Amino acid sequence: MLDLIRSLRRAVRRAGPLSRHFNIIILVSVLFLWLCARLPAVPAAGQDGEGVAPSIAGRVLDSQGGPVGDAEVFVYVDGQDEPIAESISHFEDGTFLAELPGHLSRATLHLEIKRPHFEDKTLSLSVEDQADLRDGNTIRLLDIVLTRRVTLGFWVATLSFVGVLLLMAFERLHNTTATLLGASVILAVSYIGGAFFPGAHIISFEEAIKHIDFEVIFLVMSMMIVVGILEGTGIFQWMAFMAYRLSRGRPIILVIILVVITSVASALLDNVTTMLLMAPISLQIALALNLDPLALVIPELMASNVGGISTLIGTPTNILIGSYADIGFNDFLINLTPGVAIALVVLVLYVRWVYRAEYRKIAGGISPTLYAKLEDNAQIKDPAKLRKGLIVFAVMLVLFVAGDALHLNPAVTSLLGATAFLVWVDTDIERMLEHVDWTTLVFFMALFIAVGAIQEVGLVSFIADFLAGVTAGQPVMGLIILVWASAFISTAIANIPFTAAMLPVIGFLSVGLDPGHTKYLFYGLSVGSAMGGNGSLIGSSPNVVAAGILERAGYPITYAKFLRVGMPAMLLTVLTGILWLLFRFFVIPA
Amino acid sequence: MSIILCATRGGEASLRTQTRAIAIAKERGASLLYIFVADARFIHNVSEAIVVDAETEIEHMGEFLLLMAKERAEQAGVAAEYVVARGNFAEAMKQTARERRVDLVIFGSPGEESSVTQLKFLETLCQDITGELGIEAVIV
Repeated sequence: MLDLIRSLRRAVRRAGPLSRHFNIIILVSVLFLWLCARLPAVPAAGQDGEGVAPSIAGRVLDSQGGPVGDAEVFVYVDGQDEPIAESISHFEDGTFLAELPGHLSRATLHLEIKRPHFEDKTLSLSVEDQADLRDGNTIRLLDIVLTRRVTLGFWVATLSFVGVLLLMAFERLHNTTATLLGASVILAVSYIGGAFFPGAHIISFEEAIKHIDFEVIFLVMSMMIVVGILEGTGIFQWMAFMAYRLSRGRPIILVIILVVITSVASALLDNVTTMLLMAPISLQIALALNLDPLALVIPELMASNVGGISTLIGTPTNILIGSYADIGFNDFLINLTPGVAIALVVLVLYVRWVYRAEYRKIAGGISPTLYAKLEDNAQIKDPAKLRKGLIVFAVMLVLFVAGDALHLNPAVTSLLGATAFLVWVDTDIERMLEHVDWTTLVFFMALFIAVGAIQEVGLVSFIADFLAGVTAGQPVMGLIILVWASAFISTAIANIPFTAAMLPVIGFLSVGLDPGHTKYLFYGLSVGSAMGGNGSLIGSSPNVVAAGILERAGYPITYAKFLRVGMPAMLLTVLTGILWLLFRFFVIPA
Repeated sequence: MSIILCATRGGEASLRTQTRAIAIAKERGASLLYIFVADARFIHNVSEAIVVDAETEIEHMGEFLLLMAKERAEQAGVAAEYVVARGNFAEAMKQTARERRVDLVIFGSPGEESSVTQLKFLETLCQDITGELGIEAVIV
């Protein structure tokens, strides 16, 4: 080895400056490999010559069959106060492995399982199991099911979560402030209250952090950068103007084109951005055609609410669902996009009927000055940036589609895309990071903690038990109830916290479903929570955005006025969505 | 020639305001200066991320609406210009009135349906403009 190093040194000295760097790298690599070879090998399990210690393996579950993590498992010898072994169940699957001392006495063993928010459980080992352990074997216990316990912490967490929803619904606090307040109350009660009353403990900070879904955080953040760059190019406004030109003054043709543009844009980007960019230019086009702006903007926003469902990245609720239930980009495309397309056709027929008087109007035509202004407002602002941006975005879409085969997480794809945008399309990092809405990211993190808390204390389990009882093992009925309930609830409260809270509930309900179709309830949640947004003015963020823009333009829309148009649209599209899901999951073979 | 500053948007209520402003401008032999304040505070009520410069989009929309108002005024034989401002409505009105040295400020009476500008708010603003700037301000 020393000879090898000496000869490498001589070679480095002889080489020029460039090849010297190269040689130094080779030298360091060789040294590293030599060092690795000198390290003692790690013995494989069971090959250390000392035999395998007797151990007890098992899994801790709740009453729905869901894994219970962080449960403390103690192994006692009867009559002794100190445990001879202990273990903690894994967060992901509830499994544990308690390794016992090598030499066991003939005394009887028992297990104690402790977990906050569950009743303590004691388990005696059978004679055969104890004999196996004394022989140095590992025994595998039957699944240990813990029973929920309602504590003071349960009520605090439940009231905190309901309080968050109410604060958001009545706009008493900013959504982020409301969720942050909820999460803070939960943690404060856990630590300060829990110190005096053990039953007040809800969740530790470490457990709370585990509930934050960083896949969602990174996906949302990266897509903000992508959308932020693309929106600045003026592509949306240009497409709307092209729709105006293509329609040649025929309102229904214009509506169809705008519905298609809006739904596709909402599916690939996000629907709030789509509406913020499409509504102002559509309003101008409506005025240019002498139409009531509502006759263009309302169909657009309904298409935005419906269209976003068709992909993983179309709505925040889909991002949450995809991450939680491991539903990929292609799964959404295959299982929801055809249903969305049918719902959009139904929607167009509906708005054609509602606004039939407006669409029959003959276009008034506008002055050359106004036309020039419209054209100016719809110009592509930076063609070079748009060209590059579309190339990167197209590659991102390919990676999203190919992601399932490559095991490429969608969050990684979006992060790669956002980085490519920053490196190649727009290199001003400061300006680009301004596109990241940190308030929303904090909202998501606090929301995950609040939802994690109600999951910890068992509220989610109780709701799941109730729903399982209502549907009584009838999957079709379960799906129908879920979609309608999600739709109506989403008309009244923000669908993001609702969806986040429902995910573990549906996770419980999905246990034991037909292996071919374990995810249809998640798709039902996606359809219900997003299409329900059309039911009321506050049902979705695009509604609030469109209403704000219409108000600023002097065309206010009241809650009642929206309800008259929106509720039938919601009923029709949700019904279409349910029929599609039933066809997809109960008619087409898995 | 004296200048009349008129706050306006689109919609039926704004058309009535514009018609009244054109009539007053004709009576006084004045020119009209339409103003639209691009206010995007409504996006604070949105729970999802806003990555778009909403004020710029609303500003473009406002320019289009005011261009329509300008054409109406010119067709009625009244010279008209427009300005699109950003930020707080009351402050934008006062600042523009001061900078453009207008002689009269006109506000439209709030419509029957929900409106950003309530009557009481407009009455107070008229008093402020008259008191602070010495410019006549009316609600039509």
